[in-house]
Amino acid sequence: MNTTSLPKRVFILCCGKGKHQLLRTSLFCIFLSLLAGTLLLLILGKNPLEAYKSILQGAGILAKPRYAGRKSQLTDFMSLLNYTTPMIFAALSVAVALKCGIFNICVSGIMVFSGFMATVLFGYSSLNPLLAKILVVFSGILFGALIGVLIGYLKHRFNMNEVVVAIMLNYIISYVVSFFIQTRYIDPITRQSVAVSQNARLTLFNHPVGNLNMEIPLVFPLALIAVFVIKFVLDKTRFGFELKAVGSNNKASKYAGINVGRAVVFTMIISGALAGLAGVSYYLGSNASIQPRVLPSLGFDAIAVALLGNSSAIGSFFASLLVMIFDCGTTYMSSRLQVLREIAALITSILLLFSAIGIFFRTLADRMQREIEEV
Amino acid sequence: MDTIIVEGLSFSLPLFIIAIGGIYSEGSGVTNLALEGLLGFGAFFGGLSYALLSRNFAGDPAVLIYASLAFAMIGGGTLALLHALMCIKFKANQVISGVVINMLSVALTAFLANQINASVFGQPSNKFLLEVFPRSTIPLLSQIPVLGAAFTNFYTFELIIIAVALFMAYLLYKTPTGMHIRACGDNPHALAAAGGNVQKVRFWAVITSGALAGLGGMCFAYSISTTFSPNIYMGFGYLAIAAYIFGSWKIGPTFLACILFGFARSAGYVLVQKLSLPSSYGDLVLTLPYIVTLVLLLFFSSSNKPPRALGEVYDQAKR
Repeated sequence: MNTTSLPKRVFILCCGKGKHQLLRTSLFCIFLSLLAGTLLLLILGKNPLEAYKSILQGAGILAKPRYAGRKSQLTDFMSLLNYTTPMIFAALSVAVALKCGIFNICVSGIMVFSGFMATVLFGYSSLNPLLAKILVVFSGILFGALIGVLIGYLKHRFNMNEVVVAIMLNYIISYVVSFFIQTRYIDPITRQSVAVSQNARLTLFNHPVGNLNMEIPLVFPLALIAVFVIKFVLDKTRFGFELKAVGSNNKASKYAGINVGRAVVFTMIISGALAGLAGVSYYLGSNASIQPRVLPSLGFDAIAVALLGNSSAIGSFFASLLVMIFDCGTTYMSSRLQVLREIAALITSILLLFSAIGIFFRTLADRMQREIEEV
Repeated sequence: MDTIIVEGLSFSLPLFIIAIGGIYSEGSGVTNLALEGLLGFGAFFGGLSYALLSRNFAGDPAVLIYASLAFAMIGGGTLALLHALMCIKFKANQVISGVVINMLSVALTAFLANQINASVFGQPSNKFLLEVFPRSTIPLLSQIPVLGAAFTNFYTFELIIIAVALFMAYLLYKTPTGMHIRACGDNPHALAAAGGNVQKVRFWAVITSGALAGLGGMCFAYSISTTFSPNIYMGFGYLAIAAYIFGSWKIGPTFLACILFGFARSAGYVLVQKLSLPSSYGDLVLTLPYIVTLVLLLFFSSSNKPPRALGEVYDQAKR
């Protein structure tokens, strides 16, 4: 006799033990948050299906009914990739650190720092485009890694809580950079830093391709490469193994002869370098100037995105894409359905809320499964 | 000099009450990075209640102002309820839950403020206008030479904060309830063995921290901009975290840390004004509390003792 109710069985199917449990739980969380978004839209008296459809249309996944001159679905999609690129780097940065048991909340600060340094050093120079872009990328890696090393070293050597150090660094960087921007590099009209020259920008804007004008994110391939490199390092190398061992139990790893300090510092170098790449692809790519006194919310969103992707490299990539589809598609949706633009951020944070309790879903499903098996 | 003290106190005290909230939550063993979001949501709720009350009741504005403080505490407590559920019932990672609550708070207040302003008050805006908080001066004490400034022209919410802070300090250090809370943070199993309910104590500690953060956030909304706007998320919650870590999770030293932060800030501003530097130099002043915390932690992190069970999910089976 089977007494298990249907919802229970469906739930176990979604989050229970077995193949791809992590992936299934994430999909379940996405489903729940879409459900919550649907409720919200219904309360506001809008058609949820229409809303989700126009989000996909705005992000270039589906075709819009009509397009302005020299625009098409492809241009929308390229613009999505353009905005997603920094998010992929940032999410990878958080994910790598999480694997080693370090909570890197400093991504925003590192982004501002590396973006600012690259802007000042190369953004206003008149180097030839190729050289300038390469230098910008390398300076992003270098300055990001610098902050990463600082955090890793302080954690390892002085046993300081990395979250606290990161919070302090975030604000110190934000205010100091804001000071320099406002005294030296301010554009009096936009109240932001003077826009960087096209030569140094990592995104080609309004670049004519055929009869279309599109945005071409030049570092997107680099982001893809980074995803696979990180996956390879984590899964196939000795360092990756040490990193994960330290993350799951640093005392046991120390006992087994792993140099914990070295693993922590090197992890933070990688994490910092990725955050630095996020910074240059954000401030010299999808944007061209820095707003003083503002920490980019992307750096904080990346924490949740990495979490949604189960802090794996491939997962982070798809989670970034999903979150940015919401982000990019909302402008179109809000203008079509007269819904406030803020609803996208709201649905995203509900999604993150659910993915934060994904572990609870998994244990609950496991327990239910055991109960059924015992009966 | 007087400006430094007056402005310094009006910044330090709200920060202090938020930090006490943090001490309650972390003292009971639940990491609370959500203070930033809690104070913002409290201020939102308070601002909303003020806007609604002042429209529907033509009462004395002072009464409404004090009522809005109470509503801010309720608002902060409500969002803290979510943090408590996530951390205690759903066993989520406490740091991550805190970060998510912060994001949710920013998104939720932006959405609701826009939506409510549009549909209830019929104007596109993301702000709620507030009254200027009443100020007062104590007659005799304000005549004391330097220190008198502390009793001159202060916001009356400072008195409320001091009263609440004294009560919370008494509760934490002199009563059985406080003993339970601190036991939860250091050795939850000892409390469980003595017949206490760890999860219940933690639950209420987190909600208390939300209420206190909401109160502090509302005071910031009144004193800094006299509006509720998304600008409330300026990192004061994180500064409060710095303050109580600096104060080693104890209320007394935390008070000194808050005073230090507040005075460094106001003194810096006055200095910038006196030397007639451009206002952007104020940014450098704002980094002071963070740099001081970082440097002090560098030297004292070995003697800085967080509650021993901080951040651990309570597991009855574990001994």
